[in-house]
Amino acid sequence: MKKTEFITGSFIALTLVVLLGVFFFQALFQPLYEGKVMPVDNVNLKNRLSLHYVLKNVHNASKYLASHGKSYFNNRELVPSRKITFGESKNFEEGSANEVTSIVVNYRGFDTLGEVTVLFISIIGLTMLIGGVVGKKLRQPSLIVRTGSRFLFPFILLFGIYIFIHGHLTPGGGFPGGAVIASGFLLLLLGLESYKFNTTASKIVESLAGLTFVSIGLVGLFAKNSFLANFIPTGTIGFLYSAGMVALIYIVIGIKVGAELSTGVAELKEGDEND
Amino acid sequence: MIILLYLVILVLLMSAICAIFTKDLLVSVVALGVNSLIVSALFFLMHAPDVAITEAAIGAGLSTAIYVFAIRHTKRQEEK
Repeated sequence: MKKTEFITGSFIALTLVVLLGVFFFQALFQPLYEGKVMPVDNVNLKNRLSLHYVLKNVHNASKYLASHGKSYFNNRELVPSRKITFGESKNFEEGSANEVTSIVVNYRGFDTLGEVTVLFISIIGLTMLIGGVVGKKLRQPSLIVRTGSRFLFPFILLFGIYIFIHGHLTPGGGFPGGAVIASGFLLLLLGLESYKFNTTASKIVESLAGLTFVSIGLVGLFAKNSFLANFIPTGTIGFLYSAGMVALIYIVIGIKVGAELSTGVAELKEGDEND
Repeated sequence: MIILLYLVILVLLMSAICAIFTKDLLVSVVALGVNSLIVSALFFLMHAPDVAITEAAIGAGLSTAIYVFAIRHTKRQEEK
């Protein structure tokens, strides 16, 4: 019975891998944009928010132009972007106030999907390798640690959720927010020896979040003809409801990364539970 | 500002040297966590708060805990 299941599972996995490989090689040898207009031609660079930020904040465009004998305010057209006013400027290409987010989620969203997949696979490997190891029992935590961890956990969770919900407005985003949530669960695991982390539920949450990420990308594919394209209007810069699907994807990534990392930590720690 | 940066880098170097040359594995791991915390402070001072948050949560929090879980399976020096 077990053997037939194993063979069926292996066969399904092999079929999927072969299908993926066929798609991959087909994409590799397909001539790009044959007979079509390159999408770059339709892009209005003045609507690109990140360009302005990069020129202004990191390289300090005004000083750069001044060192070349030109004034920034008289030669604005040399900086190919339009003026940004917080809470007023509208309808940029991506429209998130945090330009790191606009690059990570919008321009190279497919890379981010790959990063999330790498994390997912590494947590699977870690669970398979170390999940059942039995170790020494931890010392019982003191009363202060027990009470303190129970008191601090909701605040850490709230901070993590804040970081990934405001990822398009303030520094942070899905990965830091998920890591903060996982460290909150780690505190609970270390502080309360009666606490039992529900690995099954976290795996279900994680898988659903991954599925949501891919389906948001597919909606972009059907609505805007490109995988992970921004299909929601980008709104006013600096508002919570702005930047289109960037906020949605960062919420999904935050939940996924938090569930993944806390599953990993819980699996590593749970080795001593059946001691 | 520059002096503060150099002070932070000095502490960073000291914690890294401590992590390499100490005989106790637990002390080494704690030094590594301190190293990560200082690196995250450096990232913040250099205007990269995104990276600083991630480094503080993963480098100083989660990876230190994972190392401690791994060290639990070894013997401490005094017990040998």
